[in-house]
Amino acid sequence: MMILKTRVAGKDIEAPAEFINGILWIHYGGRTFATEAGPKKKKRHRAGGSSGGGDLEAPMPGKVTKILKSVGDSVRRGDVVLVMEAMKMEYTLKADADAKIAAVSCRVGEQVTLGQTLVAFESESAEA
Amino acid sequence: MKKAIKRVAIANRGEVAVRIIHACEELGLETVLLHSEPDMGSKAYRMATKTICIGPAASGESYLNIEANIKGALAGGADAIHPGFGFLSENASFAEAVEKAGMVFVGPSADSIRRLGDKVQCKALAKAGGLPLVPGYEGEDQSLERLMREVEKIGYPVIVKAAAGGGGRGMKLIRQASDAQEAIESAQREARSAFGSSKVFLEKYLDRAKHIEFQVFGDSTGRVVHLFDRECSVQRRHQKIIEEATSPSLTEALRRQMGEAAAAIATLGKYKGAGTVEFLLQDGEFHLLEVNTRLQVEHPVTEMVLGVDLVKAQLLTAMDEFVFDDQPRIPRGHSIECRVYAENPYLGGIPSTGLLGTVKWPEGPGRRFEYGFEKGDEITPYYDPMIAKVIVWDESRPRAIRKMIHTLKESVVFGVHTNIPFLIEILNHAEFVNGTMTTRFIEKYFPGALPAPEMTNEEKALVERGLKQKPGTIRSSSTAVATQPLPWQGYWRGV
Repeated sequence: MMILKTRVAGKDIEAPAEFINGILWIHYGGRTFATEAGPKKKKRHRAGGSSGGGDLEAPMPGKVTKILKSVGDSVRRGDVVLVMEAMKMEYTLKADADAKIAAVSCRVGEQVTLGQTLVAFESESAEA
Repeated sequence: MKKAIKRVAIANRGEVAVRIIHACEELGLETVLLHSEPDMGSKAYRMATKTICIGPAASGESYLNIEANIKGALAGGADAIHPGFGFLSENASFAEAVEKAGMVFVGPSADSIRRLGDKVQCKALAKAGGLPLVPGYEGEDQSLERLMREVEKIGYPVIVKAAAGGGGRGMKLIRQASDAQEAIESAQREARSAFGSSKVFLEKYLDRAKHIEFQVFGDSTGRVVHLFDRECSVQRRHQKIIEEATSPSLTEALRRQMGEAAAAIATLGKYKGAGTVEFLLQDGEFHLLEVNTRLQVEHPVTEMVLGVDLVKAQLLTAMDEFVFDDQPRIPRGHSIECRVYAENPYLGGIPSTGLLGTVKWPEGPGRRFEYGFEKGDEITPYYDPMIAKVIVWDESRPRAIRKMIHTLKESVVFGVHTNIPFLIEILNHAEFVNGTMTTRFIEKYFPGALPAPEMTNEEKALVERGLKQKPGTIRSSSTAVATQPLPWQGYWRGV
């Protein structure tokens, strides 16, 4: 850890900071901030939230405990597609829009990493 | 007859393992930490007299494996086992196995655990003892059809819970018929994975209730006392986040009545050691929720207002030693505990794992920090996300709230995201400040992710400076968490 020092609007400020695995952490004014390296942030899926219209990605590292849909299934917005477990809690991943399952790229019991694509969708209208 | 204990095995991990080691050290007892493979990077591992690896990361093969724990404790030369909370702490078969192997189980008897800890049996005992209960179904028929029928009978909303559960695991809310099947199956899966039994029961969900619990303690002479109340209404997905002692919601008459009821059911269950009787309080009426036959996560707030050491008291009781004198114990001042979870509040609380960097807990009068991980340790995805507890004490509730906000703002955790910003929002909320919050507080006021705050000019300037300087770089040795070294694209994320 080191202390960052800088000057803003004529005022000297300092804050403890640290780089950990490519992420810069800073604590200042009662808040901690992380600044990440990497390409434009991908839309992340919220636990119990929705898939944002794109493919379903793991919102955290964890284990796939249940896959409720198969390739070719039609899903409605809000349908539970997959259940994951991390830190002893279950998280349900839901479809964000009406769509068809194009591919399931994970297995029940599989340990998946953050951002890994789990289920790919294709829009139903494209088929019609 | 007093039992000689020289070395205590700890069948647990994280901050509670550290808490138990502290108590053992003060009593001159040696410790054996029974740990899983990834938990070699933890404070308890570094503190224990001896360490024995009992299995891989998956808790079913390590922390929940009775045989592995018994073998490990015997190999480590322990004459007693403290189970902490969670894992095997409320498992009667484990308590029995410990005694059968010739060691002392630090906790109630297997018989007490069965009678009080099994939520179904506990309800039967409470019914016999005339304690008020929440309406529900706790039958042996665990078929989906039967459970679905009972849900209809009770009327929505209904809550499905693991019979062997606790800590919000294996617990799901059913608001309408279409939720029922998924909720029941999910609760059964979580119950099996967390507690080794998929048995569930159903309860009418009280939607404007407060969670009030009483600490009880049975000493070695068989006398059971209550050590006053805690309020734990601030919960998310039935997992407590902020607890306090004593509750701001009880009149003296209600406190006396509930305290007597708590001591009564513990006495009926021939309770020995530290336990907790949980109630729901709605419209001035209280209902027994469950009895936890173990130490609670939130035990420190009781310790702070009463000046007791519950873990030492547990160990002394296990040795048949004298614990509390006959002085009347009266709570003084107010204590609050905040659970620090490794999660990102700006992404709806999804778990955050990785290498822990610098951690600074701002010591000061009336502040207490319980933690199990330090700089260089890895927060792994295998276990509960609670990485620390911050506890404060002050003369009054408003002062304790103010002290907690200040303490949290001064706390530094680098490497994983924490719920600290979320805790501060809660502590500042009018309903929390008034003390009128119910168990639906979070759901009502914080249903989604916290909005990420805009970065101030000062924060932006610090980030800019930091990216130029690359201060104190740490890299994880594990490839699982290593991030690809990619060019800076300059987007910020508040933690």
